[in-house]
Amino acid sequence: MSRQPVEPTGRGRGAATVVWHRETRRRFRRRAIFVGLTLVAVAGMFGWRLVSLQLQEQERFVAQGDSQRIKNITLRAGRGAIVDRNGVDLVLSVPGQSMIANPLWVEDPVRAAQALAQVLGADPEVLERRLSSDKSFVYLGRQVDLEVAEATLALNISGVYAQEEWERIRPGGDSALSVLGRTDIDSIGISGMELVYDGTLSGTDGKRRVEMGMRGASIPGGEYSVEAAADGRTLVLTLDRALQFEAERLLLKGVEAVGAKGGVLVAMRPATGEILATATVRRSSDGVVRISSDYRAATWTYEPGSIIKPLTVSAILNRAVAAPDTVREVPPRLEVHDATFSDSPFHETADLTLTEIIRRSSNVGTILWAQDLGSDALYEQLREFGLGSVTDLDFPGEASGILHPPGAWSGTTLPTIAIGQGVSTTPLQMLTAYSALANGGVRPAPTLVLGTRDDEGVFEPRRPGPSLSILPTAVAAEVVAMMEQVVVSGTGTRAQVPGYRVAGKTGTAWKVLPTGGYGSKGNRSYVASFAGFLPADTPRLAVIVVVDEPSGEIYSGGRVAAPVFAEFAGFAVRQLSIPSAHERVESDREGRVMALTPAHHAILREAAEASRLEQSGELVAASATGG
Amino acid sequence: MTAVVHHSRPGLGRWIDDGTTGRAAVRPAARSAAALAVFGFFATLLALAAFQSVVVSGQLEFDHLQRRLEDGRGRSQLLRAEVARLESPGRILEVAGGRLGLVFPEERFDLPSVVPGDPSTILAPPVGDPFSRTYR
Repeated sequence: MSRQPVEPTGRGRGAATVVWHRETRRRFRRRAIFVGLTLVAVAGMFGWRLVSLQLQEQERFVAQGDSQRIKNITLRAGRGAIVDRNGVDLVLSVPGQSMIANPLWVEDPVRAAQALAQVLGADPEVLERRLSSDKSFVYLGRQVDLEVAEATLALNISGVYAQEEWERIRPGGDSALSVLGRTDIDSIGISGMELVYDGTLSGTDGKRRVEMGMRGASIPGGEYSVEAAADGRTLVLTLDRALQFEAERLLLKGVEAVGAKGGVLVAMRPATGEILATATVRRSSDGVVRISSDYRAATWTYEPGSIIKPLTVSAILNRAVAAPDTVREVPPRLEVHDATFSDSPFHETADLTLTEIIRRSSNVGTILWAQDLGSDALYEQLREFGLGSVTDLDFPGEASGILHPPGAWSGTTLPTIAIGQGVSTTPLQMLTAYSALANGGVRPAPTLVLGTRDDEGVFEPRRPGPSLSILPTAVAAEVVAMMEQVVVSGTGTRAQVPGYRVAGKTGTAWKVLPTGGYGSKGNRSYVASFAGFLPADTPRLAVIVVVDEPSGEIYSGGRVAAPVFAEFAGFAVRQLSIPSAHERVESDREGRVMALTPAHHAILREAAEASRLEQSGELVAASATGG
Repeated sequence: MTAVVHHSRPGLGRWIDDGTTGRAAVRPAARSAAALAVFGFFATLLALAAFQSVVVSGQLEFDHLQRRLEDGRGRSQLLRAEVARLESPGRILEVAGGRLGLVFPEERFDLPSVVPGDPSTILAPPVGDPFSRTYR
């Protein structure tokens, strides 16, 4: 159809032109109106949409825009480290890689699972099941090695990624494992110090709110706010890593040498109750002795045997029943009710002082004096030493041991308890009791924690537990002098440490058999132990060594546990710089030479310089000005 | 014809007085002003673009530094762990006993500190530097 107007017929040419123009204008107007209305309609639609977007659904679209641009990134707080008393890292968190996937983006789950299984060392069926799920996030492998993560990413499987996660590691391997404990895969403490101090070690996650464009780049001038993560505090333990390692090494060697089931060694500062080393080893089902994850020093109870005798004698001296040099006739055997107690090795009836009784570890002599002391006094004294109740250690699963009140005692209980049978204690309780003797009659509160430290390195000491005065200093000194004779010429001579005066006591306890009773000679199980401290006159280190069920002919505490004590104490006195008796003689005499390494010399020089600056106020001024 | 009349006050510039053709005479100045405005506008746009690019590159640098900081923290923790591992007595013992073939001495003597004139001193102090290569 032609767009030209139809020329009218039957009129003149001028009239036709007028008509044509009029028609054209009309058509143009109609079209203009139509186009105008269309444009108005379109504009109206846009306007309506604009109103709808801006006013009616404003919040929804703003939120949608925000969700696309604004990212809330969680800043993971680092879990605090656990360090020893010298600041050496025992446990810390390091960044690790976990392999994750978005199954919705994995094209061929079967082939992907097979390829991933080879690299990750996982079950292909499990991986296939995860990759075929309708979730948008699954773990393929958590905290894998860096090489494994790189190899996995090199497979270039769509929808498979690496995600950074903090993992917990112990640089020293299994050393002190029983104390340090473990965390689960999400770094939440599940045992040991990790569990007890989980709240302190865990930090508070932070948050970063940032406006991001394409490819994750921040939009300049966009929304940005940061709530910094607060890392967990560093836990400073009382342990000394070198002592801990040596304790474990020597205990492993000692337990292996006598074919024992296991052993415990604990070392403590008697004045403060700080535990310097605590080792637990056990023979596993394959016959190999390994470091145990059980903290048996506080959770395992046993009948201590003769190492309880110094505590019994303390009660005897404290109640003035006898003095160290009081002589008594001691027969080789003693019958009390239906039980017979005897001394080993056998001896004829002899006149023995109380000191001799301890030196020889005479059961009969101890029982005779304990009978004079009486049940109540013995019970009260043992309770004051801490037997029968948990210590202030605050360790999960700590045992209280068993010490029945005198009302529940039978006729043979008093003599039995006096020589360390019929009562059960933990190695830690016995060491705490010995520390009380070493500490002039003041029982310290055992502790594994010195304090905590924040990111800035500011140290906050842990409030020490209460120390209890349980014995007059003079009585404690008398008992220590008697214990020194045990090591000098008694049952504990193998515990001697050259250059040091050592006080201690051996113990060879009968162990209750699984069938009940202690068995008969040749069919008994023993727990051999030695507990002692040094230097005897000013004790700075107390140690207990307990060896569980040594097999063979060598099973006594003096032959099994005392040598371990001596080796350990010999190492510890150098590690802790405890001077020998010889080194302490006239240490202030003029012309005395102190052998120092250059490093030690430098430390002393720096310390002297720091002290001088602090006294002159320069150090304080420098700190105040940030210098 | 255009006549230029100097204003009695110095510094006011030219004054155009041309009766009917006055508007035409002003045009070049307006054009210059318009051109200047357009130039200024584009110069401002250019400056804004440059500023924007500086801001963007700054932001990128900031993001980059933040990533480096996080990586650095992680690396520092890894190095810290490695130091602790290398210093651990277990590893040292392993290397000493394994690679270096060292053994524990059967007997060990701990030297007491030397006190001049002390009769209990048994061992004489070493002569010379026992650790020097020439000392044998």
